[in-house]
Amino acid sequence: MRMNRRFFLHNGALAVAGTAAIPSFLVRSVLAETQAAPNRRLVVIFQRGAVDGLNVVVPYREKNYYSMRPTIAIPEKQAVDLDGFFGLHPSLAAFKPLYDQGHLAIVHAAGSPDMSRSHFDAQDYMESGTPGVKGTEDGWLNRALQAEDANIALLHRCAGTCEEHTAFRALALGPDVPLTLAGKIPSIALNNVNGFTIAGRGPAPSPAASAFEAMYADTGDQLFHAAGDETFEAVKMLRAANPAQYLPANGAEYPNSEFGNGMKQIAQLLKANLGVEAAFTDVGGWDTHHAQGGVNGQLANRLGDFSASIAAFWRDLGDDAENVTLVTMSEFGRTAHENGTGGTDHGHANAMFVLGGRVNGGKVYGKWPGLSNEQLNQGRDLALTTDYRAVLAEVLTHTLGAENLEKVFPNAGIDPSRFLRLV
Amino acid sequence: MPSRESFRESLRTCLAALLCCLLCAPSPLGLAQPPPQQAPPAANSGASLAQPANDANRHTRRPEYQSPEMQGDQRILQALNRFTFGPRPGDVEAVRAMGLDAWFRQQLSPSGLDETELNARLAAFPAMQWSVENLLYRMPSNAVIRQAMNGRGSIPDGPILHAVYENQIYRIDEKRQAQAEKKAEQAQNAQPGSQQNPQPGAQPGEGMNAAQPSGDSAQGQTAAADANSMNGGANAAPARQGDTSNASAASGAPVSSNTILNQLDQLSAPASQQTDAQPAAQKQPPIAQPMGAAAGQTSSADATANADPSQPLMAELMALPPGRRVARLASMQPEEFDGFIKSLRPAQRARLDADMAPGMKETVLDLENPQRTVAEELMAQRLARDVYSNAQLQEVMTDFWLNHFNVFLHKDEATPYYLVSYERDVIRPLALGKFEDLLEAVAHSPAMLLYLDNAESIGPDSLAAERAKMADFRRPNQNNVPQGLNENYGRELMELHTLGVNGGYTQADVIQVARVLTGWTVDQPQRGGGFLFAPNRHEPGSKKVMGKKIKENGEREGEELLHMLAERPATAQFLSRKLAVRFVSDDPPQSLVDRMAKSYLSSHGDISQVLLTLFRSPEFWAASDYRAKVKTPIEFVVSAARASNAQIENYQPLENALRQMGMPLYGCVPPTGYKWEASDWVSTGALVDRMNFALNLAANRLPGITVDWSADPSAAQQPSTQNDIQNAGMLADPSAGANDPAPEGPTPETEEARLEPLIVLGGVSASTRAAALQQFEVQIAQDASLIRPISAARPQSLNPQNRAKSVTALERQDQVLAGLLIGSPEFQRR
Repeated sequence: MRMNRRFFLHNGALAVAGTAAIPSFLVRSVLAETQAAPNRRLVVIFQRGAVDGLNVVVPYREKNYYSMRPTIAIPEKQAVDLDGFFGLHPSLAAFKPLYDQGHLAIVHAAGSPDMSRSHFDAQDYMESGTPGVKGTEDGWLNRALQAEDANIALLHRCAGTCEEHTAFRALALGPDVPLTLAGKIPSIALNNVNGFTIAGRGPAPSPAASAFEAMYADTGDQLFHAAGDETFEAVKMLRAANPAQYLPANGAEYPNSEFGNGMKQIAQLLKANLGVEAAFTDVGGWDTHHAQGGVNGQLANRLGDFSASIAAFWRDLGDDAENVTLVTMSEFGRTAHENGTGGTDHGHANAMFVLGGRVNGGKVYGKWPGLSNEQLNQGRDLALTTDYRAVLAEVLTHTLGAENLEKVFPNAGIDPSRFLRLV
Repeated sequence: MPSRESFRESLRTCLAALLCCLLCAPSPLGLAQPPPQQAPPAANSGASLAQPANDANRHTRRPEYQSPEMQGDQRILQALNRFTFGPRPGDVEAVRAMGLDAWFRQQLSPSGLDETELNARLAAFPAMQWSVENLLYRMPSNAVIRQAMNGRGSIPDGPILHAVYENQIYRIDEKRQAQAEKKAEQAQNAQPGSQQNPQPGAQPGEGMNAAQPSGDSAQGQTAAADANSMNGGANAAPARQGDTSNASAASGAPVSSNTILNQLDQLSAPASQQTDAQPAAQKQPPIAQPMGAAAGQTSSADATANADPSQPLMAELMALPPGRRVARLASMQPEEFDGFIKSLRPAQRARLDADMAPGMKETVLDLENPQRTVAEELMAQRLARDVYSNAQLQEVMTDFWLNHFNVFLHKDEATPYYLVSYERDVIRPLALGKFEDLLEAVAHSPAMLLYLDNAESIGPDSLAAERAKMADFRRPNQNNVPQGLNENYGRELMELHTLGVNGGYTQADVIQVARVLTGWTVDQPQRGGGFLFAPNRHEPGSKKVMGKKIKENGEREGEELLHMLAERPATAQFLSRKLAVRFVSDDPPQSLVDRMAKSYLSSHGDISQVLLTLFRSPEFWAASDYRAKVKTPIEFVVSAARASNAQIENYQPLENALRQMGMPLYGCVPPTGYKWEASDWVSTGALVDRMNFALNLAANRLPGITVDWSADPSAAQQPSTQNDIQNAGMLADPSAGANDPAPEGPTPETEEARLEPLIVLGGVSASTRAAALQQFEVQIAQDASLIRPISAARPQSLNPQNRAKSVTALERQDQVLAGLLIGSPEFQRR
């Protein structure tokens, strides 16, 4: 079998297929680093379609909130109060204990400063981390991993990468690698952990799988050569980790939804010590132009699935949750006014959730811009007071250890002294 | 079809022999040289066909004249790769014979093409020819059923349809009951200690909320609609008993089987010409009561052989001729029917309707689940066309426009029904016509009006809005439905359908466009109504879009707007680039896009003209683009089925594969549609899925899909002399086939050399071939018995008659080789 550029190593735990001797200096540096920053695990959730942040984290003390949303507003009494001003949508009740325990922080009026109201563009901007700049080919999370490498190389004074990573370092739960993770650092995408095997799930690769492996290793087609490398390594690692019968811990019960299953599999892979550092998944159904509902209805149902999945994930992780940080985002918010069809149209700023063992939770962060007519962005949306990149940058410095923020978010002018201090 | 079949086979074998010989020439495997007379006049093209331009590893023999453009058969392959869903065996020859230009022209106006084979396959889906209204009546949506339950709609009297409705009412009741029970249980569990519980995940109501979105197909919209209807779940539960007894009172009355059969005949009318079973069934005497003395009929052998002692009902049914079997199923009580269907194993379920005519099969599906049947047939007919249509460019363009004008299947309960008409009446007939006609038709289509919410949009100063305000004023606590503008369609019409996001419009224009289009709505969407312009919803006054004034003119305002958008240069650019990305490369040359845009403008948006311009552009034939586009999942799956000449009875495995690979048919939720660039479709998970699909397809492991890799399928079991002659030229080393059953049988090398040009036109690299063969030999050397277990591994199948025969070692070898070729890097590009 071929041994290529990677070793399968994480937290000192070893899961090597093929077992070549690992240079001891390498083990040392990895151990040193993991002890320095043991919480290098970041989970990113993208709510595609633009979730209505004003009905997610409800500013129930704003009079204008109710006058602008006659049929869809969340009544004060039914909002799950957070701090006497904001309340969660009742379908997010599962978040309340996390908030009270200080694990869940919220940033309101956050998002991309770009004014685009196109799903396409706004998602691309958000994922590339370069709002307003088209054609950026890599994503912020991939660049953050690159910055992490550079940082470690600097710390340990070795040229290039002095730390090897596993095929699972950057992981997307879904059929493809999202722009967020696209870039120089290889990443893998998988839909279903149990289906992630070629020609059957025996203890050893089948002859057909070996033939494919040789085929892709030797192909002159660079794109498929690289994809093949990733694939076969990941398949082998997963076989070694034997994920077949996964039972969530601590009585966690995931909803039987696409998102719930995605979160369950992320937890499973995080716990399997495969070397996951950055995991991504997305969840759709937020584009509520029509009949979005209030306490009940379309949005309420989506939020119920969303919060139950994340809460189950948190519970499932147990002690591991200490080293995991989860952050959510959506391409833009929705109009402050409800539209003519019981829904909301494309707006601007939104609410983000940051959940983690080291998060300074229990607080709604960010400057609240207000909802009176003259305070609205273009007279129609929640105005933006926090650039989502500042939130991510702060999370990154405390998780992946990416110090060169200019590399991750070029021209964003991120100033660490102005971080919200939420991690 | 047999003559047609054999014609194709002879074509295929000729092609195989010819291409094999050509391929052998530069091959490092030491196979025999082709006889000199086999070298065609276009020797250069043959050589280049075998040598992918972008393959660095391959031993190359370049023509002396280095052209940046493709030559000879490469051009044919390029055209087939880009303008079809992939070549079928024999296609290259056919195009060569008629000439590439003539072929392309024929593809641009395909009305005269012979579609006998496709039509025979489409006959399996009679319902796909019905009007939306009829479809909703005969295969009712949940909304129609709920109306029938509320008394706002009626249950048809005809016995078959009556049973369809009653079965659905029963299903909804069961679901409501289950939900109410779950709710009650959770309420009980949540009461004690919920306040003190510090652990996340144990929130009251959490599971309840979560359960709803995960409902049917885990798509929010459907689930939301479901959930809305379930608001009265707790109330509905007590009423259930009554409902059911009601139902039994209605359907339990003895029904004359003749009435049922007449109804059945009516229901399956479109197919009745094709089936002999129907008239025969009608002549049958009234249905015998359970376990009549029906033994001795043709089906009885089957029935007794397969009878499950626990299921006398199955035996009874199988003893009936098909028509009476349907009637018997329809006469069952909902509960009995539900229990019976659920008790069937897949193979039994398959046998239940295996001998039925299409209309009857459809009726059984309708009795089970009408909504699923509609969605399922919609997908199946689409794939049937993609795989079997000779009007390939029309199908490729239908796919292109369905993606461009994306409508998500699960937007609401009516969407699958409207999608049937949307594809059939709006997109396909106009796929190669004028863009403006297409844009107009889409804008008038209920599918789009509902998907992007324009059907609900109401002018803020319109009569309807005024009236609503008055109603609000009079009854402020009534929570009246809001009446006003919805921007969704207005925005996407410009961003995604015409101008593109940089097409020069502003947010103010979005609002103006939304105003122009107020009143464009759907007449009774629950009942499958059509387009309706409602003047009382239309915003009065003139509008101004992108600097152009649109005078108040009712419905005509929208038409003026669409005309303006279709004629804009930004639209020409946007569409041309998108077409070029689909057909040429991920990053098409601007010169090409400009030429296409010019052609678009001068022809007033004639799509055929634009495609012809593309076809005639040197950029399309750039050698660097030969087999360079990565196949999207739909292109991969369909091209694999075409290359392997798959006989498909059941399209679900293909639908599942597309879902797995992230490209479900009609399943793109946002209006953006799927992207066509490689970066979206090359990933670890995608590769695993593709390899597994390839191996499963090639080894007949997809239920209801049959492939045959033997050199002469009609004589698969015993190689004929004809076969030996065809193989003779390639048998370089007969001793290599020591493990094969036939002493002088083909070797892996000869089989590879035979299969490769059938599956991967243009050939694979030497390294790919070597990997396939080497691994294969290792396998044989390690354990010759490896061949055995796989052949016996999966006996279950939807059409047992296809799968009954055992697989020989040679066939198994071909299957693995073919699977490896379909999963090879070369087959991932087009």
